[in-house]
Amino acid sequence: MARRTFGTKLATGLGIKMALTALTCVASVAALSVVVDAKDGAIKLAADDLGMAQQLATTAGDRISDYRGYLVNGTQDWLDATIADRQQFLGLVTQLRGGLSDPAARTLLDSVSTAEARYTAAIDTVIERRRTMTDLSDIGRLNETNVGPARKALREAITALIARLRADVESARRASSGKATRSIIVIIALSVLGVLLGASIAWKLSRDLRREVGTAVGHIQSSSAQLEAAATQQAGGGRDQASAMSEITTTISELLITSRQIAESAQRVSKIAEETSEAARNGDATIDQTRASISAIRAQVDQIVQHMLSLGEKSQQIGGVVDLVSELAEQTNILAINATIEASGAGEWGRRFAVVAEEIRKLADRTAGSAKEIRALIEDVRGAVNTTVMATEIGAKSVDAGARQFDDATDSFRRIAQLVATTNDATREIELSTKQQTTAVEQVNVAANDTARVTRETEASAVQTRQTAAHLSTLSSDLLQLVGTGRR
Amino acid sequence: MSPNEVAERLAGLREEFDRSFAEPARRHDVEYAELLAVRAGGRPYALRLSQASGLHPDRPVTPLPGPQAALLGVAGFGGAIVPVYDLAALLGHAVPERPRWLVLASGAPPLALAFHELDGHVRVPATDIVEETAGRDGSDILRGMAPIAGGSRPIVDLPAARAAVHQLTGHKPDVHEEQ
Repeated sequence: MARRTFGTKLATGLGIKMALTALTCVASVAALSVVVDAKDGAIKLAADDLGMAQQLATTAGDRISDYRGYLVNGTQDWLDATIADRQQFLGLVTQLRGGLSDPAARTLLDSVSTAEARYTAAIDTVIERRRTMTDLSDIGRLNETNVGPARKALREAITALIARLRADVESARRASSGKATRSIIVIIALSVLGVLLGASIAWKLSRDLRREVGTAVGHIQSSSAQLEAAATQQAGGGRDQASAMSEITTTISELLITSRQIAESAQRVSKIAEETSEAARNGDATIDQTRASISAIRAQVDQIVQHMLSLGEKSQQIGGVVDLVSELAEQTNILAINATIEASGAGEWGRRFAVVAEEIRKLADRTAGSAKEIRALIEDVRGAVNTTVMATEIGAKSVDAGARQFDDATDSFRRIAQLVATTNDATREIELSTKQQTTAVEQVNVAANDTARVTRETEASAVQTRQTAAHLSTLSSDLLQLVGTGRR
Repeated sequence: MSPNEVAERLAGLREEFDRSFAEPARRHDVEYAELLAVRAGGRPYALRLSQASGLHPDRPVTPLPGPQAALLGVAGFGGAIVPVYDLAALLGHAVPERPRWLVLASGAPPLALAFHELDGHVRVPATDIVEETAGRDGSDILRGMAPIAGGSRPIVDLPAARAAVHQLTGHKPDVHEEQ
């Protein structure tokens, strides 16, 4: 039942109720037809058979009257009427015989026929006598003894038949009344069942309506409350958004002004970049001259180093010569000493020779001293030369390093020039882009204005939505009350 | 050193050279003692030139096998084979450095002493020399002190050195005779 819609439930309940109503209707019709048949049977019995039986009695009475009229008058008319009455009587008997179903009644009818035949035979004799009679003074002779009993038997037979048929009618009436009573009971039962089913369906539908529709309406109520809150929030957000959009519009206007200023600045930068590029081209020539000067300095420094090395070499040669002089001085000294030794053992001549030898030795000493001084000077010169060479080589290395740094500086300068050219291009691109950007910002401004308008409309529709949601909430409460849950 | 200074020194030298010929002949053997200032094993000594018969640098010395550490070998002088002893080793402070100079002792048997450096030939007044007649024992070859520029130097007595060498080689002290 949970998955079925309320309409399905309603249709199902009403369908069952309708089926039961139809069943009740059919049962009523069937019962009515049964009762009608029974009553028809009883009525037919009462109206046809009983009526015909009573008509038999009437016809028999008429025949007796017409017979007596004939007896009185003796005219053919009464006789004909009597005969017609008999024919009618016989026709009625035949007709009654065809309609009777009760065997007892049929037997009684047979006895009626038998009585009528005896009566007919009795009166036929009388009728023949009357035809031959013209004087009514001896009417007494006409009287027959057996006519009266026959007539009485006929009447009794008819009365018995009528009584029998009356009893049959009574029993048929009772039977039909019993059928009608049973039909009434059946119909009442079906009606009670229908009422109970309708009540249960109504109760169940009402319960489901309360439960499901009430729940749904409760959901609708809470949803409409949430919707109202959301609409309120949306309306507030729309207001905030509208104010933000107005700020955005203001900012975009400032941005537009700034973009135009940027475009002008980019133009100025482009001009400056071109001037810088021109200056870089001039700087190239200066760089080439400086490089030539550095190369010349390097060559001069190389020559200085060569000269210094040559000077050192010459100093070394001088040192060699001085070594030679020192060696000679030492040998002279040794010779002088040995001469002194030799002279000491040679008497007076030896003494004079010793003087000479001493002088030679003194000279040799002085020569050795001078050679030592020269040696010291040469060492000084060589030290100075070495220092100079080292300083010069350091200078040469410095020149090389300077040249390399200058090359690096030149490369940097050229890269700067290239970058300046690139910067120039980039600046032009920036200028162009800024112009496009300005156009775009103008379009954005238009779009922002549109958006602000749409935002205001959104706010208005949010207010409308909030009102609708409030209305929906009220409707939900009313519907809940209608459903019977009564929650608010 | 400026050129003027050199010229002055040159003039002084010339004058002194000329004066040496003008002075009277001096007496050598009485007033002065002729000394050789030497260094053996890094220590300063003095030798009497009167006790030497020759000074030779860079003489080839042929090494000889033997137990004496002071004996460096033999060298040839004027056709004679002379044993060469290390003066520093004789004085008791031998150094591994090879001596360059040889001094030939006068007298017999011939003996050469090797020393490392020659400081020069000096004349010292005899009165300035502190004389010492004998050493402390047989191996002491130093006799007296001589004041020489740079400090006093002990004087190595070559005959005493010969005697010490003899003692080392097993000779009796009184067997040999001095000159």
